[in-house]
Amino acid sequence: MILVIDALNRHRFGSILDDMFKLRARVFRDRMGWDVKVRNGREIDLFDDLDPAYLVALDDDYNVVGCNRMLQTTGPHMLSDVFQDILCGEPPLRSATIWENTRFCIDTDRIKRKNDGRSVSYTACELMAGIAEYAYESGISDVISVVDPAMDRILKRSDNAPCDYIGETVQMGKTKALAALSDITEERINRIRTFAGITGDIFVDEDTAALAIANRDKAAPHMSPDLREYCDQQILEARTESEKAAALALQRTLSSAFSTEPNCDA
Amino acid sequence: MTRHTNLIDIARTPGAQTDYVAHLHKLCDTLGVEHATYFSANPVSGTMHGFTTYPDDWKEHYVREGLQDYDPTLRSAARSVAPVDWKRLEKDDNYGRVFRDAQDFGLPNQGVTVPIRGMFGEIGLLCACATMQASEWTKLRREITGNLLSNAVHLHDTVMNSDPLLKALRQPNLSRRETEILQWVAAGKSQQDVGDILSISPRTVEVHLRSAREKLCTISTPQAVGRAVSLGFIQPG
Repeated sequence: MILVIDALNRHRFGSILDDMFKLRARVFRDRMGWDVKVRNGREIDLFDDLDPAYLVALDDDYNVVGCNRMLQTTGPHMLSDVFQDILCGEPPLRSATIWENTRFCIDTDRIKRKNDGRSVSYTACELMAGIAEYAYESGISDVISVVDPAMDRILKRSDNAPCDYIGETVQMGKTKALAALSDITEERINRIRTFAGITGDIFVDEDTAALAIANRDKAAPHMSPDLREYCDQQILEARTESEKAAALALQRTLSSAFSTEPNCDA
Repeated sequence: MTRHTNLIDIARTPGAQTDYVAHLHKLCDTLGVEHATYFSANPVSGTMHGFTTYPDDWKEHYVREGLQDYDPTLRSAARSVAPVDWKRLEKDDNYGRVFRDAQDFGLPNQGVTVPIRGMFGEIGLLCACATMQASEWTKLRREITGNLLSNAVHLHDTVMNSDPLLKALRQPNLSRRETEILQWVAAGKSQQDVGDILSISPRTVEVHLRSAREKLCTISTPQAVGRAVSLGFIQPG
């Protein structure tokens, strides 16, 4: 399911946003090696201070499994201020009906280890359909997405091929980055949905989400913030795949120990 | 779902070019809404602009009570990326304060605010509202949102350009691609032809043209070509 978080409701979803910023650190710094600013294991930049809209993909337990960030192209956005290399120094497109999609990523680690039948591809499609539907509902005609070639291949494979590319593909960290242009039409939405077999409403209402997250956190007392921080740190600092697997296993064991243990102090 | 855009050119509104209220009345007629309001703050001069089709008694009440300091259709909606249906604002602490009064004045219960972010952090807001059933309103809102966005950016640019200092700062910054496409259009080529010449899809040509029109603060492509010629970006066709 997809949760839309923006300036109007972000105070209700602090923990979701925190998890999203941690996911972004793992993807954009660790996996892609982009020159992004990470503090305390969270990747947050100045565009996060400009009241963007985030689409967050959640699994059935309301864990963050994917995200993106939307900004208007009439105001400050990444292609105008940060990704000039992609545009070869040219000024960016500017239109009230074009949005910019950045920081588009999927938590492949979490989806793979959870093994609940939802594939990485399904989650990616759900998020892509969410982006297209949210934009369509908002009167947007086109979205320009800054992605790496792997994400560009996922777009194409999911019957969601961009109509064109703006500027050039440039080296960025361990990977490359490019700007893909997609028209936002009912036809595109239907193509993505058909490809992934998505039916029904994919958006979760913010009241439903806030209530479910509060209930989940009440039912399963969380690890102390220190312990959670320690686990996150271990995962982030893992240098090899086996170290990472061990850190993830430790986190899983600890969190299940905490969630099943009755609260003796009560 | 119909998604055409009916833009009303402020420059062609009868009377003065700055007759924004008449422009908003015309917009209401075109879109089938009851009232429209445009509001923006100029970050350079610190001035605020507001125009509305609301009746005078409500305007007086609104200003006397200082409702602009609470009104969630302005204050909360200004922080949204997407257009905000006023239903979403019902949870806002200040919703009752403004909407109870609005109801006493017999004003519409359904509305939407379209926020436009400018280059310098300034925000323009175009609000439209109507009295109707929720389901009917949802349908109408969907039909007119794209239209409201285009009108909002046009209004915003026109208002911002009325300030000489901002106008100087806001010199249109066309990309090479946009200039090239405008030059081919000036030479009489169709979008399809231009796409063929430049080996890009007609859709991409359209996206660049839309961007160029907005940067040049024009409604139609011929106007954009005219302005690009007069500013020396391209040669006459």
